[in-house]
Amino acid sequence: MILNSLRVPAAEFSAVTGWDAKPEGMCRGEVCVPAPGALDNGQVNVEVAAARLGMPVVHDSDHGVWSLGAATATGRTLATAVARFPSTLIDAMGRGFDFASLRGRRIIMIAWASW
Amino acid sequence: MAVWIDENGMIVRPAEQASIERSPARDMEIPEGIPDRLKLMIGEVKKIPDDSAAYRAALLDWVRNGAASAYAMTPDEVVAASRPTSNDTSLAGACFAMGEHLHRTVGHDAAVPYWRRAHALDPDNWTYKRQAWTLVTTPEGATENDLMQGPNDVYEGNWLDDVLAAGGGDNYYVRANLERPK
Repeated sequence: MILNSLRVPAAEFSAVTGWDAKPEGMCRGEVCVPAPGALDNGQVNVEVAAARLGMPVVHDSDHGVWSLGAATATGRTLATAVARFPSTLIDAMGRGFDFASLRGRRIIMIAWASW
Repeated sequence: MAVWIDENGMIVRPAEQASIERSPARDMEIPEGIPDRLKLMIGEVKKIPDDSAAYRAALLDWVRNGAASAYAMTPDEVVAASRPTSNDTSLAGACFAMGEHLHRTVGHDAAVPYWRRAHALDPDNWTYKRQAWTLVTTPEGATENDLMQGPNDVYEGNWLDDVLAAGGGDNYYVRANLERPK
């Protein structure tokens, strides 16, 4: 996740990382990690959340951006088997594709590169 | 790589190596008269394990049988089968993403230090390496990516030497576990 600030709207943080900021902590599916101070007025304090979730933060001071790594708190890439449906994907023709329109069907998601 | 998601929005197989068709490269004859380096590369490509028939059979089984398929994992099995992660691999991902961002918004040179760091932190990740290599070994104006990704002045590694160092084409990727889990 590329950030221009270390305070991010909770909904944006959730959409990209899959982790929801809740009063009980940072949650993904049924897994919650206590994170006091991570949620403040609807914003995620990235430094606090990242520390609790084991997310490395890389800062490029020349360009004023941060890159947030994936959570390592559970030791696995997935903390839950609940799939996160991105709001919109771009298809091969550059058009928006509503991934959620596939709900209720079996989905195979394939990643491929030309090199 | 592919992920299977069921009708209820549950992942039933996490990201894993996926192919349903045997690559023609596995069976190609190595042509005479080509450069030695290319011969060696083709030789390693031919060694890459081919699980396409088994994967195709598993996929068809899931399509036919849904949750009753032996290849559809339980939620706990999915989490346990997902890739292990560590601070180094996650930091490598953050570095790679930073490089991607800077490549798009600033320029290639800004990305290079981050991609070098990603390679050092997660040396088994071919995605990080090949993405970076192909951008420096593909000639400007070329219509296709350079697949040889040979020695270059920007990165320490290159396709052939790194594949050999990692044990050869036999160890090119982590194979999907297609033994029936239940």
